[in-house]
Parts: sequence; structure tokens; C-alpha cells
Amino acid sequence: MLKVEHLTMVYPDGTVALRDVSFEVKDGEFLGVIGLSGSGKSTLLRCINRLLEPSEGRILWKGRDITHIEDSELRLVRREIGMVFQQFNLVKRSSVNTNVLSGRLGYTPPSWSLINRFSRKDHDRAAQALQRVGIPDKAHNRADELSGGQQQRVGIARALMQEPKMILADEPVASLDPVLAHSILGYLEKLNKEDGITVMCSLHFLDLVQRYCERVIGLREGRVVFEGSKKDIQQLSDERFKQIYGEEAQRLGAQ
Amino acid sequence: MDHNLSQAPRSSWLQGFLSLLVPGLGQFIAGARSRAATLFAGVLTLLGLSVWTIAQKARFPDFGLSLEIYIKLVFESALLLVFLLALRRLFTRYVIRDPALEAFSLYGVGILFFLAILFVGDNLLATATSADQLALVHTGTALYAAASLAALWLWQVGDAVRIGSLPPGEKLPSMGTAVLLICLLIFSLGYNITDINMPKAIREYRDISILLPRILWPWRAAFEYDQQVLEVTQPIQAPCPEGETGPPSNQPSEAQPWISATPTCGQLSARPITGGLDLGTELTITGGNFTPGQEVHILWKNPIGNPFTPRGMGPTDIIIDENGGFTTKLNIPDAVVPPSTAVGAQIHTLAVRQESEEVFSGRISEEMKLALAAMLETIMIGLMATFFGIIFAFPLAFLAAKNLMAPIISPLDRIVGSIAGLAAGFWVGILLMQQVANALGGLEQAPIQIFVVGLVLLGLFGYAGIRLGGRLFSTVLGALGPTVSFVLSTALLGAMVAVPGYYLGLGFSRGIRSIVLDADVAALNEIQYAYLGAGLAIILAFVYAVLRRKSRGLSIGMIIYTITRTTLNILRSIEPLIYVIIASIWIGLGPFAGTLALALHTVVSLAKLYSEAIESIDTGPLEAVNATGATRLQTIVYAVVPQILPPFISFTIYRWDINVRMSTIIGIGGGGGIGFLLIQWVRLYQWDLVGISVWLIAITVAALDYTSSAIRERIV
Repeated sequence: MLKVEHLTMVYPDGTVALRDVSFEVKDGEFLGVIGLSGSGKSTLLRCINRLLEPSEGRILWKGRDITHIEDSELRLVRREIGMVFQQFNLVKRSSVNTNVLSGRLGYTPPSWSLINRFSRKDHDRAAQALQRVGIPDKAHNRADELSGGQQQRVGIARALMQEPKMILADEPVASLDPVLAHSILGYLEKLNKEDGITVMCSLHFLDLVQRYCERVIGLREGRVVFEGSKKDIQQLSDERFKQIYGEEAQRLGAQ
Repeated sequence: MDHNLSQAPRSSWLQGFLSLLVPGLGQFIAGARSRAATLFAGVLTLLGLSVWTIAQKARFPDFGLSLEIYIKLVFESALLLVFLLALRRLFTRYVIRDPALEAFSLYGVGILFFLAILFVGDNLLATATSADQLALVHTGTALYAAASLAALWLWQVGDAVRIGSLPPGEKLPSMGTAVLLICLLIFSLGYNITDINMPKAIREYRDISILLPRILWPWRAAFEYDQQVLEVTQPIQAPCPEGETGPPSNQPSEAQPWISATPTCGQLSARPITGGLDLGTELTITGGNFTPGQEVHILWKNPIGNPFTPRGMGPTDIIIDENGGFTTKLNIPDAVVPPSTAVGAQIHTLAVRQESEEVFSGRISEEMKLALAAMLETIMIGLMATFFGIIFAFPLAFLAAKNLMAPIISPLDRIVGSIAGLAAGFWVGILLMQQVANALGGLEQAPIQIFVVGLVLLGLFGYAGIRLGGRLFSTVLGALGPTVSFVLSTALLGAMVAVPGYYLGLGFSRGIRSIVLDADVAALNEIQYAYLGAGLAIILAFVYAVLRRKSRGLSIGMIIYTITRTTLNILRSIEPLIYVIIASIWIGLGPFAGTLALALHTVVSLAKLYSEAIESIDTGPLEAVNATGATRLQTIVYAVVPQILPPFISFTIYRWDINVRMSTIIGIGGGGGIGFLLIQWVRLYQWDLVGISVWLIAITVAALDYTSSAIRERIV
């Protein structure tokens, strides 16, 4: 589904965020991305749907090079890739329903959206999406009236509206408590298994990675320093752990 | 500002001496470079300013008093200062024992000193005449300025000496005293330049004390009063030709008031050019059947009926005696008649008028109605200006928002194509517009239709040109390969900027010529300047294109942003009142000019405020909506607009408040509304009506203020 070749990303002020990153994501996979803060996880995810422009390298989506395509074609690619954010990134003053509907903007003609007109089907889809994430009753509340976990579920519903082939999740549970974290990742897992949506999720805690991810890549200072399966994570030696997280890192929790 | 010395100091006395000659030199040698620079620049600027100010005032004859007054001034103000400081010392030592209050007490001394000089200064020095007052202000402040400057100079000498004896790496002594002296100096100069003269203001309070009550309670002029006027007349012939006796005297009547004059024919008074007054014939006037005890007025009407009160001919206000009658004497006044009507017998009218007391009728006076109508006009000017302001500022604000404009980058070939397409589209549009204009009969016949059609045509063809041109060039040049494409597009860009560059050069040289007026002075003639301009533009374009070669294209967004922001800032700094004056010349006096001017200023001001709101939005939702595949417009509608709504409303209400205030005085510049009436009534000295206008303005502004804050509470 997604293939990244020799991706390098240098910020205008000179910081090298990604160095020669190459990996592949298969259809229907649940890929985890681990690494320290600042290791390039967010940058990597944002380069994939070109919210950030990579300096070098190629991104191949379903076999097609999307690194340099024009805005009008990029739109068609972006609407197939949903994204969930750490800070939820909902429009606070808008209703939950409007937030969810905005996930369908990639499919809506621009002139319609100016007058806030979505088709009947879109409204039904939105209701369904909210149903799937378990908060159908909150449709008409303002987005900032919801709790953190509920807001993230709205974010997932918004991504669902795109009927995506892949969902990028940039530390979706970093701002949530452990119980909520499991709940949210549970939704993502459900979407991955039931709808066959590929998920690429960056996470901090290895126990979550172990529980939900089939495959993992580890970044350090912009480079891929680890690539393995779920079993490899379970059997991660201290040495390899330090390779990913650095010399000062200490393992927490059961091994 | 450096705080530590950077190198080892030299002899402190040498530095002191150097600073005595040139301010800051000693500090410079000691290594305190930036302090030296500040002192040098500062002291010299202040010296120049002081000298210039004093020189200006010295040109006037009232400047300069005798030497003893100077000495008196210095002596007595020093005495006052010593007195106040001693008072302070006693106060802080024996009354308040709090060290924290010591600093405050110094502040108090300063305030008292200034207040004393301000109000009592001239009495303190007992100057001879009030004409000396202004001279005192000027010389006094000049002396204070000179003293502060001298003190500043000496301080920096002392500072240089002090720095000289510091070991290296020490923190430099504070500049607090210098700052204080500079403030004192600037205050003195300001006092001097603005001609502050408090004793004059207090002494001449009477000028305003007559006016103020009438302005503060003007409501008598808001109503109409009924008054009965009784007028009785007696014809008089003047001049009196030979042999005539004039019209008959009236006979006394029992039924109604009457007047009678003897004689009824006589000579007019005359005022020869050489001066003086030759009195005319004296008339004896009797009257009867008036209300006893009332006052009656004598009026004279010339043959064409112009009434006036004769002055210097005898009493004109007469009290009726207890019998209802009166007797008085009056000389025939110098009633001038236009020569063209001075044919035949000249019959003037002697009139006696009795006015009854004014009775309140409850009806609103005509002027009050005028004022109320003008107030409504003013409110509408404010509203309309705000309305149009919002409409045009909204789209403009997005162009002036850096966070929205910066990511707009377009490859060079597409931009070049778009500009070429735009030019072609405009050309076609203008041609068509001319055809339509001719068909409709020209600008005189159908201005609106032509304007609208023209706008639509230009918009359509311009847009089509941009889109098609961009796409065309992009595909054509893209097919030729990157290097060829780059070279061609850069060449075309150069050719395109050369045209405005040419005209700019031309305009520049013409501008210089119009100032210098000598064709030979400018080394290059007009055409050379024009080519120079074109050449510079081409070079700049080339350089820019080459610099941006590596990136994804020209950041056309930032160019638009910079142009928009700069224009807005320049237009914002001109007050609406000035726009009104210009507008009233273009459109004519009246509320349209006022609305147009205020609307223009509202647009630029609101655009600036709105764009700042846009720049402060949370970028997270923007990212998220973008990631769903939304177009730029959709992103703005769904992610930007909901976030900026509260500040937009807040700013709009703020601007409305300002517009209401502005619209009240815009009339003064010719913009209609209450200001228009206000300034006329001031010029006619109709203080009651001025007062009514002021009251109406105050009531309206207060009411609208209250409304806007109530709305703000509800919505935001």
C-alpha cells in the first residue's frame, strides 16, 4: 500500500528531521512507530500525506509516486488517507456533527461547502460514524464541551468519513489516561480488522505497542534503527531498547 | 547596552576631559562603546533641538527680559526648591519614619515644585506687566532647558571619570540621573514649544464663563415661543423738498394704541466722510393707549422697508407711563436708500413696537428639528461606513494574513503564464467594455451599467486569463524540459517587470525634474531614467528567480501579503477627517462624502484587525481539515472562519464605536451630519444651538456605547 524510499526532510532552519528513511507498509497492517520525542515520528507521518514537504526521497502510494504531484491530484490522494492527531485538532466552536462532516470535504464540490451543504448520504454517514465510535448522542454539542476521550473519538469518526484506505495516527493517545488509551486504540484495531483499513500509529508506550501493533519501526534522530514484528518487541533486549531510546532510557513495566 | 567594561580603562581624568570636549568620547575610550554612542547621539540631538527651539522664539519681540528678571527667576526657583526639599526632610525625619516613603516624598517635592511654577510662577517673581507673562514662559523654560542640558553635559563628564576609575569587568554605573535630566530637558522644551501659560488660562476664565452656561443648558433654543408683537407706525418724509409738509400726523385714538410725530417732514442725518455726525430734523413723538409700565422699542424703516434701530438719535427703548402714553424726541436717522429707488417722495416709516412676553408653546423649533435630522444622518453615516467596511475588509484580511499567504507557492512558469494571461484577459475585457459602453451611450447615460458590466467582464476574462495562461505555460514549458523552461520563464518575467520598471523610471525622473526645474541638473535625461528603471527591474527579477530556483517556485503569496500589509498600514495612518476633505472635493459636501471617507478608513483598519485575528488562530484544526483533502477555500470556511468569529465580532463592534464618534465630527470637514451644523453654528456664534448639538452628540454616543457593550456581552 505505502512505500517510502530514502525520505529526507530538512526544516528551513536547518534541522534534519528525517534521514534516509525507507520502509514499507502492507495492506491491512497495523504498523507502530516508536521513538523518542523529536525522533521524527510526527514529521514522518506528516510527510506521508504531504502536510510537510520532504526534501528528498519518494513516497509511493498504491504504487504511484505522490511526492511531487499537483494540488488537485493531491486532494484525491489525501482523501484516501485519514489522520488522527494527538491534540485531537477539532474545530472547537463548531458542533461535533460539523467536525465529523468536514471529513467528507475531500469528496464535496467546493461550491457546496461554502453554503455548508452536504448531501443526505453524507449526513447519514456522519450519524453512522458517530454510532460506530459510540457517541451518537453528542452530535449537536459543541466540540469543546466533550471530554478528551470523546473528542478523540470524534477525530476518529472524522477520519472514518473519508472511507480511507489508511489512517495515520500521530500519538493519538498521548493526552489520554491508560483506560481511555486502550479504548481508543481498541477502536482503531476494530477498524483495522473489520474494515481492513491500514493503520500507521506512533506510540510512546511499549505495552500498547505490544498489545496492538503487528509490526513496528523505531526511529532515532530521524533514522530507522529498528524494524520488527510483535514478537520482536516482546523479546526486545536491553541493548536494542537503548539503541532506539538512547543510553539514558530505562525500561518501565513488565518485560 | 553593555553593562560591563570590555577592556582596561585609562586615566580617569583624561577620560573626563575628553568627555568635556565631546560627549561620550571618554566613555568610548574606556570601552563602554554603546553607552558612548548613546550619549553622543543623545546629547548632540538635544543640544540641536534646544538651540533651534530657543532661536525660533528669540525672533519674537517679546522674548527676552531684563537681566534682573533672569536672576530673579533662577534665584527664586532655587529658593523654592531648597524650601521644598527642607520641608521634605523635616517631614520624613519627624512625621513619617518609613524609608519606603522617602522616595515618594522626592516625587512629591517634584510635583509641588512644578505646580508652584505652573500656577504661581509669575506672581512669585512679580513681573511688571502681563505682557511679560509669555516672555516669562519662554525665557523661563529656555533657562530650564539650558540648565538641564548643562547638567547633563556635566553628568556625562563625571560618568566618564567614574568609569575611568572602575576595575575592568565591573558593572557600569546606572544612567538614572541622566535619564531624569533628559526628561527634564524635554519637558522644558515641550513647555516652551507648546506655549503653556496657566496663569493666562486662569486669568481669562471670564471668556468662557459667559459661554459655558449657554452651552451647558441650551434647551431654550429647542422650542418655539409665541410672542405677540404690536406695531404702530407713522410715516415721515425725508428729505423734505421746499414747500412740502409731509404726510399727516396720526390723531390720538381711544380704541387702540397710537403714535404721532411732529413734524412729519424733515432732513436726514448725515455722516460726512471727514467724520462726525450732522443730526437731522428733531421729531417729537407722542404715543398713547399702550400697556402702562411696559417697554416699547422705536424702529425706523427706510422707503423700501428695511427696518433698523436708530442709534445715537435719541432713546429707542421707552417705558410707558402710568397713563399708557409716552413722549420722546428723536432725530431723523441717516437712513441710506439705494439711488435707483430714490425717485419721488421718500416716505420712511417710524414704528413703535411692543412685544409681549414670550410664551412657551411646546412646539419644537426649526433648528432643533434640523439638529435631530442631522443626528440621524450622523448615525446612519456611521452605520453605513461600518457596513461597507466589513464587507470589503473581510476578503482583504485573508490576503494580509501571513499564516495563510506564506504557503502559497507557485512554480515560475505558471506564475509567468498567469500574469501574461491576466494581461491578455484584461485587454480583451477592456475592448469588450468599450464596445458595451458605446452601445449604452457612454458614461453620462449609463454609468452604473457600464461599471457593473466592466467589472464582470474584467473579472471573468482576468480570471480565465490567469487560469488558462498558467496552465498553458506550465504544460508548454514543462514539455521543453526544466532548464529551457527556467530560462524562458525568467526571460519572460524580466520582460514583464521591465514595463512597470520603465514607467517608474520615467515617473521618477519627471518627479525630480518638477522639483529641481532644471533639465540640465539631472545628469541623465528622461529616456535614460526610464531605461535605467526597466533595467533595474529586470535585474531584480532575474536575481529573485535564480535565488528561488531551488525551491518549489516563487512565493507569490508572500509578495501579495507584503503589498497588502504595507498598503493597509500607509492608508491606516491617515485620519478619516483628511479623507473627508478629499472626498468632499471629489463628490461634493454632504453625507455621501462622509460615508465614503469613513468607509475607506474602516476597510483598512478592520482589515488589519481581522488579519491579526486570523494570524492568531490555532493551526491544529487547519492541519486536520487540510489532511482530509479539502481545497484551500474549504479549509478556510471550515477551519479558519469558526475560529475567528469571536474576535471578528469583537473588532467589528469596537470599530462601530469608533465610527459613531468619528461620524459626529466628520461633518466639520464637509461630511454632513451634526458636525456640519455644529461648525456653522460656531461660526455664527449661536452658542445655544452649539450646545444642543453637543448634547445630542453626547447622548447618542453614550447610548450607542451602551448598546454595543450589551451586544458584546451577549454574543462574545
